[in-house]
Amino acid sequence: MNKITAPLLYLLPFVMYSQNNGFEINTELQNPQNPYSAPTVQSLTPDSVYNDLIVTPLTQNNQQIMQEVEKNEAQLQKTREEVFREIAKMNNVFSYSLPSYSSLPATDYYYKAFEKLIQTDTSNYSISNTNFLIENAYYENTIDKENFDKIIKNSRDFILAKMKELNYNPNSNLAKNYMLFQFFSEHLKLKAEGTEHLPFKYDFEDYTGINDHSNMFVTNLLQTGTGQCHSMPLLYLILAEAINAEAYLALSPNHSYIRFPADNGKWYNIELTNGMFSTDSYILQSGYIKSEALQNNIYMQNLNNKELLGQQLTDLAQGYIHKFGYDEFVGKTIDKALELYPNSITANMIKASLDRVRFEYVAQQIGINPYDKEQLQQIRYFPEVVELLNTANAQFAKVGNLGYEPMPDDAYQKWLQAMNTEKEKQENETVKKQFKGVLENSKIKD
Amino acid sequence: MKYISILLLLIINVPLNAQNKQDRFEQSLMTLNNMLVDESQYNFKKAVLSVENAYFDGKLDTVAINKEIKMLTNLCYSLIENRFLAYVENDKKDVNKWASVYQVMCDSIPLIIKDKEYKYIPFKYDFDDVFGNQDISNMFVSKLLYTRKGNCHSLPYLYKILCEELGTTAHLALAPNHVYIKHKNKANGWYNTELTSGIFPNDAWLMASGYVHVDAIKNGVYMKALNNRESIALLLIDLANAYQKSFPDNDGSFPLICAEIATNAYPNFASALILKAEIHKRQLEKETNIEKGKANFKELEQEYAHIHEIGYRFMPEQMYLNWLVSLKTERDKFENKNLNTFNKQ
Repeated sequence: MNKITAPLLYLLPFVMYSQNNGFEINTELQNPQNPYSAPTVQSLTPDSVYNDLIVTPLTQNNQQIMQEVEKNEAQLQKTREEVFREIAKMNNVFSYSLPSYSSLPATDYYYKAFEKLIQTDTSNYSISNTNFLIENAYYENTIDKENFDKIIKNSRDFILAKMKELNYNPNSNLAKNYMLFQFFSEHLKLKAEGTEHLPFKYDFEDYTGINDHSNMFVTNLLQTGTGQCHSMPLLYLILAEAINAEAYLALSPNHSYIRFPADNGKWYNIELTNGMFSTDSYILQSGYIKSEALQNNIYMQNLNNKELLGQQLTDLAQGYIHKFGYDEFVGKTIDKALELYPNSITANMIKASLDRVRFEYVAQQIGINPYDKEQLQQIRYFPEVVELLNTANAQFAKVGNLGYEPMPDDAYQKWLQAMNTEKEKQENETVKKQFKGVLENSKIKD
Repeated sequence: MKYISILLLLIINVPLNAQNKQDRFEQSLMTLNNMLVDESQYNFKKAVLSVENAYFDGKLDTVAINKEIKMLTNLCYSLIENRFLAYVENDKKDVNKWASVYQVMCDSIPLIIKDKEYKYIPFKYDFDDVFGNQDISNMFVSKLLYTRKGNCHSLPYLYKILCEELGTTAHLALAPNHVYIKHKNKANGWYNTELTSGIFPNDAWLMASGYVHVDAIKNGVYMKALNNRESIALLLIDLANAYQKSFPDNDGSFPLICAEIATNAYPNFASALILKAEIHKRQLEKETNIEKGKANFKELEQEYAHIHEIGYRFMPEQMYLNWLVSLKTERDKFENKNLNTFNKQ
């Protein structure tokens, strides 16, 4: 969930500065939630504007005053431009990169985690380890790796024991994934040892991690038994890795879920937030997947190892932003993430926000409020600043061209809950029955 | 003697006619192919009319059709000048043109001619023979202009023609058995225009037809904004289909060439791939050499497998109509709410 929403939150005051030809700089305000409703321009009738002038008898005087005001204004503008030229000469004084948070001791955990992550062999790594690195950096290396590994190992043993008890085929990928699915969504009990496991619950309170970023973490899910579409699929992948099952992470608007191949090669989706097998058409009907998004492979696609690591680096950057804010470390992390996963929508959005923050920071240094249309025109004296603006605009355009469309929070919740309607439930039961049939059959063969 | 000469005339005349018609189809094919080879030749109106004219054996009244199109273009121009569009981005010029074409196609417009008010009646959707099974000319733009009733084939074609007459662009896009319009503007990104019901649907509606596989979208079989070359590919298949109606017993060589050129311009064009496979199948049935037949059968299987792989699924006609109507019945769910500027209130 957070994967996409979190950067979205930074984008809320989403301002697109767009530049026309040459140095004509134009600001265009866009509202991300509803960028399409163009503001209606109220046409001013001449009467309303000039009413006052007509009433006052001193029309001539007024004209004189107006002329003078215009003259003064022109003078002022000239001075202003001179000042800006002066400032431009002192360009070197300005910093074109964001101030670093590195003086804060807690940032060091992130820098170290980053170094470790980029040394990871992309073809062969443990998602359990990389994810732990990210969460531990947030907690400033205070969580116990041994303890975490122990919990994962216990869960693994429980799952394997239950598989054996149910007489599932231990070599079937379908059986393994079905067991994992049950582990997430059902109340399970081992007959022999009497140990129990309760299903994980969806966290309705803070599903975007706004209140507490650590709500998005696997460690939090293990501790509290509640999670959302970020931590649940991640834990699934960790457990799949532990029992050697094949499963992949896939993304949809504001969301991530699991895909796995059954033994006959057919692919299935698992929706962990409500413990159901969702269909492709259900995901498509969220209403926020544009065909361009699919053509660019940003949604509904298995993430391979490389892309998954890219996604993890994005997670790292998000934790950092949450804890400290934007600085060039975020840029470094995101660049690496994009190297591994060029079409990652989350990474591209964070990059756009970073570019915007950087531009605003520099604009403020030269005394320009970028939200003021007139003032913004003045950046033309600073080619470097114009360049920053262009970069930010190009990045926002890239996000749009990838087919991204913001999905409002309430639409997301509505979509997720619509899965509990009768029709969807029925489809889910059908898939379950099919699986059970296959599993029964494979039992007899063994 | 008189009888004989008449008989003779008839005998000569029939093949002569057929030869003429054959020539016309070949001419149209040349026209379309030239547009692909040399893109400066591209003219969608000309291309569409050449196909329809070939089917009508050169009897299409192109002067009247051009006049009608000119009239509609002028109506668009007067709309652009005389009404206010609440859109502020700097691509307003194009958006304004698109909006005017949309209005001409789907809205009733009050017209004042010599102090009398008239009402312009927009084009309507024709529920009869939506696939042109009874008469392929039901799919034609000329039919749409004569009767002012059209379907998902003629309406978007006319829309594209009018846009290009106004000096702007419009992208055709495909869905199962369906053609619609895609535009990209600065404020909204890509959005859809559905002319059969005059609504701007979101992509979810197209996906909800139930016959759009995810792979079909990924591979651009459906829901891709087609460029001009790909639009000509559509016309090539129209030409092939018209040819098959005119010459039901043809040996398949002409439609095969059409399909071949079409897939060159638009490799994942499902209709062209299907047509190719169907002709191959027909040819296979006539194959006498067993060895060769076996090899061809294998190739044919691969062709069909490829069509399936890129995500194409067959959609029955009744399903299509149900889906088309769902846009009106479930308007709230499928309407693109972001386009407040254009949506009819």
